[in-house]
Parts: sequence; structure tokens; C-alpha cells
Amino acid sequence: EGFKVRLSIKTALGDKAYEWNRNQRFLFQAAIAFAMSHHLDLEFNVSNVLVCDETPRVSFWFVVTSPGDPSRLVGKESVELAVRESRDRINNVLLLNDATLEFVGVLPTLVAPVKPATPPWLIVFGVVIGIVGAGIVFLLVSTVVQKKRKEKEVAEEEEDDEEAQMKRTARNEGIYNTSFSEDDRNTQM
Amino acid sequence: MAKDARDNWESPMQFVMACVSYAVGLGNVWRFPYLCQMHGGGGFLIPYLLMLLLEGVPLFYLELAIGQKMRLGSIGAWTAISPYLGGLGLASVVTSMYLCLYYNIINAWSFWYLFHSFQSVLPWAVCPVNSNRTGPIEECEKATPTQYFFYRETLNVSPSIEKNGGIHTGQALCFLLAWVITYLFIIRGVKSTGKVVYFTATFPYVVLLIYLIRGMTLHGALNGVKYMFTPKMEELANPTTWINAATQIFFSLGLGFGSLIAFASYNQYHNNFEWQAIIVSLINSGTSIFASIVTFAIYGFKATINYENCLERTRILLLNSFNLAEDSIIINNVFEMIEKLNTTFPEQLAELSNKLEDCNLENELSTAVEGTGLAFIVYSEAIKNMPLSQLWSVLYFFMLLMLGMGSMLGNITAITTPLQDFKFLSRISNEALNGFVCILCLLLGLGFTTRSGNYWFTMFNDYGATFSLLLIVLIEVITVSYIYGIKRFEKDIEDMLGHRPNWFWKIMWGGISPLLLIGLFLFYVINYIQGGTPTYQAWNKDLVSLYFYSSSLRWGFSFCCLYYSAS
Repeated sequence: EGFKVRLSIKTALGDKAYEWNRNQRFLFQAAIAFAMSHHLDLEFNVSNVLVCDETPRVSFWFVVTSPGDPSRLVGKESVELAVRESRDRINNVLLLNDATLEFVGVLPTLVAPVKPATPPWLIVFGVVIGIVGAGIVFLLVSTVVQKKRKEKEVAEEEEDDEEAQMKRTARNEGIYNTSFSEDDRNTQM
Repeated sequence: MAKDARDNWESPMQFVMACVSYAVGLGNVWRFPYLCQMHGGGGFLIPYLLMLLLEGVPLFYLELAIGQKMRLGSIGAWTAISPYLGGLGLASVVTSMYLCLYYNIINAWSFWYLFHSFQSVLPWAVCPVNSNRTGPIEECEKATPTQYFFYRETLNVSPSIEKNGGIHTGQALCFLLAWVITYLFIIRGVKSTGKVVYFTATFPYVVLLIYLIRGMTLHGALNGVKYMFTPKMEELANPTTWINAATQIFFSLGLGFGSLIAFASYNQYHNNFEWQAIIVSLINSGTSIFASIVTFAIYGFKATINYENCLERTRILLLNSFNLAEDSIIINNVFEMIEKLNTTFPEQLAELSNKLEDCNLENELSTAVEGTGLAFIVYSEAIKNMPLSQLWSVLYFFMLLMLGMGSMLGNITAITTPLQDFKFLSRISNEALNGFVCILCLLLGLGFTTRSGNYWFTMFNDYGATFSLLLIVLIEVITVSYIYGIKRFEKDIEDMLGHRPNWFWKIMWGGISPLLLIGLFLFYVINYIQGGTPTYQAWNKDLVSLYFYSSSLRWGFSFCCLYYSAS
């Protein structure tokens, strides 16, 4: 009908560990009484929580008697539910946590995991793929722009050539006939 | 308008960086330390360095020479040597294609882990809570959080290769990202690759150095390093040691894929590739050794932590069972207390015997892991125990990314370069061709992001390229030495470098390297014939362990052989 409790005070607090004595035990009893009152909405007193079989480990058994009839014990399930409900408060009062204050057989109530709206990895992923995508688009666009510029340059060069040739022909005032051209303008002697 | 002259590396340094980036890859980090541990620690360096001398450097030199002389990708280069050898180049391209398909999934996993490092608590450090919030998820509790994160959350692995499952969307996204980044790096061919390799080649060394310093200062790291370096010389008598050394050198340098030929084809004609070949090979091996020192420091740390956790659990168990005061047993005297309790309360201790674990540091140290298990499970476990674990995690996975991306660049270049040499493809612009190859590999590779993807990956990794490469390089060496002729090859090298190759190179090309390769090849064939049906390890989520599962992997292997022989 009772529960075994195990405390690991030195593991939890190291140098600041307190000595387990009658007063600390009283605090524990008070905490359990609070939990029972809170859960069942009845008035439990410290004397309703009985502790026995203490060991140097700091482990002991405890049972809870019903406030109306001290010879009757409160059922295990109620005690378990009460402890689970107020586990946080009991832990804090004794400066311990779920691992260092063990109620053997009572499953801990773990904190619900915090689930952010967007998983953080997706955010980082989005940033990276955005940057990379922008880089690719930039490079592709610059390639196309470079090509267009090159084509314009070549076209301009060709145009220049044609213009220069037309200018030369115009100066000679006639159609340039290559069969009569000579490199040397002076007649040979 | 006539096609522009062939692209060139902007400087010989870019070429060296590209080769280093390609050769130094994940294998240096996750395969070499394993081999070192399996084959006698420091003693393994002897066969390793010997093989580097006898087959590594000569074959590397050979491939660079071919590429630089022919100034074409692998298909064009071998066709130029002899028209009947076009198939050799084609085999290289197909093998590179295989590699490209599956290699990028590793980068996808690295991205996944990298992005998940940006959280206050690393997701592989603690087990997630189960649905009624009473405790951690059962599968996670039986295994370790790191294993759970890898097999369940990263891969969502199915029980066997036959059960496909669907595509894991997170994986698919990371895979897409990996290919998009690969495309960004190769978009303009060597003009863009040349700039990227400065970073991908050097950054891993920065991280390794940081990790070396951090690793050596970790608690228990020296246990691991001492364990690694104590040579066990008797391993040298085991032929497997020598075979593994030869195989490791061979695959680590990335010979036979056509990447080296492709890279070298963008060199200036008179580039001095002789000293470059030697330097890159030495850097590659040096990196392997360097990485294994870091890995063993990490091993030592992890083993020591596990050992101490084991002792702690034993201590708590003893305290609780015998109701002793908390400070009566401390970590250092756990074993003495067990002895004492054995004499005072033998029956009670006997009752506990099935719950008492056997805590042994040697056992922890000797658990050697390789491959993805090392990279993603063992290292993650070590990282989660370090202070400031998010920082170390980001650094580490970024390093894995650089290593993987660097190798990918070489593999993709091995495919695009021969393709660009074809006349009918030269009308398509660089960017479009590269984009097409990337999209094709992306779509085909999506199969690796399914729930059974890890098993496909293992199959490709273990069987996809081994045989083909050995045969390809063997034929390469024999071709150059006997069909093309060493004399002609000598003249070509003299033409490029200004001096003839040393007698050492000629002996290697003509005799020693081919013999070694024939030996390796025969060994693999015999092993395969004797080995029966190939097997793979599957994750069993009820037993929470890997168990061997034989399956029809044979068809995959035969497929590789089939189209290779058709070329």
C-alpha cells in the first residue's frame, strides 16, 4: 500500500547537500500532505503521512492514512495520482528533481516537448537554398548578358570594317578594282 | 562563330587544389581509421606507405599524363590512344555516373545534421518523449539517442530493402539542396570549379586542426590515441592487411573514374604534373593519417565516457540494492566494493548478476566502426558530450560537407568533360549541359531518399564501383605500357615536361603496378565466388540492432559487370 522513496541528495546538490534528519523528513511529510489535500480536496495533516524503514541511502517507505479515519490507508492509485500532479512542487521543496527524488513505481510526468511552428532546420534550409538559388540565377543571367555584349561587339567590329572600307572606296572616287592594285604607288623604273 | 579554345585552370595551384579536393574525401576520415585499427594500429602504415609508392603515385602520374597530353575527357583520350579503347573511357563515365547518383545522398545527410545543429539541445543528445509523456520513446531507449536519430528521424529506415516506404521529404529537400549547390559549383566548368576548390580543399584542414586541438584536450582522448598507435606487428603477416592497404590507396586516390584525366585535360600543355602528382598523393595519405589521429582521440573520449557512465550505473545499482549511503561508493572504488559485497552479501549480489554490466574500457575502445556509422553516429555521440556542442557539431558537419562536395566536383567533371568533347553536344552551352546532367542525377538519385534508401546506398557503396575500377585501371596501365608503348609515352612526357620519366616510373608502369592490380582483382573475384549471396545489415526496430539480411543483391552487381563488358 505504500511507496518506496529514494533520495540522492549528494548527487543533486554536491557541496550544498543538506543532512537528512528529522526536520527534512517533516518537510517531506508536509509536501505529501499538501499533494494529497490538493488532489482529493480533503484536509490532510502531516500526521497522516507515515514514514518508516529509513536507510543510510536515504530511502524509506511511506503510507498515507485517511484524515477522517487514521486506521484506514488511502489507496495506492490516489496517492500516485496526487504525487504525479504535484511532482513539481514536491521536487522544488526538497531542492531535487525527478531523477534524484525517486518514487519507485511512479512514472514521471515529463515536460511536453516544445514544438515550434516551423522546425528550425527548415528555416536554415530555406535561407541556404535561397542564397544558392540567387547565386545560380545571377550567374546564368550574367552569362547571357556577357554573350549578348560579345555579339554586339563583334557586330560593331564588322560594321566598323565595312564603314572603313566604304570610306576608302569613296576617297578613290570609283569602284576599287583589285586587279590593277599595286602595293607600290610609284611606277617602277 | 568558332568554339572557344579549351578552358584552362587559371593557375597550376587551382589544378592542385582541385586534385586535393577530389582525392581527400570522406574515405580518408571514415575508412582509413577503421583499417588502421583493424590491422594493428601504427603497423598498418608500413603496407600503406609501401602501396602508395608501388601503385598509388605511379598510377596517379599516369592518369594525369594522359589527360594533359590528350587534352580530352576520358572517352576522347582513350579513343585517341586506340579507337578500340573508347569503351574504357565509357566505362569510366558510367562508373562516375553511378558514383554521382549515390554520393550526394551523403551530402544530403550532412546538410540534415548541419541544419539540425542550430538548436539549443542537439536532437540526437536526448531521446524524445513518448506520447503519454511518461518516458522516452521505447525504440530510442533500447538503442542510443544518436542511433535513434540516425535510423528513425534522419532515415526513417524500413526493416528491409524490399519494403520501400515513401520518400522522406526532409531527405529529399536536403538532396535537392546538395544538387543545387553542386550545379552552382560547376556551372561554368573549370572557371567556377577552379574558384570553389580553394575553399573545399583547405577548409577541412582547418576543422581537422581545430578538432585535433580540442580532441587532444578531451578527457580520455589519450587512451584512444595510445590504443591506435601501439603497433601490433603480427597483423603484418595477415595477407588481408596488405590487400586492404592496396585497396585503400587505390580507391582513396580516386583512380579510374576519369576525373583525374578530366582535370588534367584543362591544364596548360607544359604544366609540370610530375611533382604535382607526388604532392597530391602525399597530401592524401598524410590527411588520412592526420584524420585518424583525430578520430582516435574522439574514440578515446567516447569510450572513456561510456566506460564511466557504465561505472556510474553500476554504482547506483549497488547503492539502491544495498541501501548504502551515497558517498560510500564512488566511481573509483566500484570494483572493490563489488568484491567486498561479494564476501559479505554473496546471495544478494548473485541476484543482481543479470543486471550488473561488465564495464571494460578495452571493449569500448575496440568497437571499431567505419563508414556512415562512424561519421553520423559515433562522432555525433562524442560531440554531444563536449561543452558548446552546437559549435562543434556545425564545424564537423560543415567539414564533412566540404569533403563530400570536393569529391563530387571531380565526379561530375568526369561526366561533363567527355560529354563536352563530343561534336554534336558542343553546340549546347556549358551551363545547359551541366544543368542537364545535374537534373538527371537528381531525379535518378531520389530513390536513395526513400525509407529503404540506406540499404540501396550500402549496396551501391560496397559493390557499385570496386570491380569495375580495378579492371579499368588495370587495362589503362597495360594499354599505356604495352599497346601505346612505354617509348611513345616517354616521348610524350618529355614533350610536355622537358625530361624523360625516371626508370622508377617505367618499372612501375610496366611491371609492378599491373601485377599488383592483377593480384587484387583475382583476390576480389575469388572472394566473391566464395562469398555466396551478398548480404547487408538492416535495422530491426524491435531488437534495435543491425542484423545481416541476405537478399538478391546479385542482380545489382551483375548489372554493373554487364554494361561494363559491353563497352
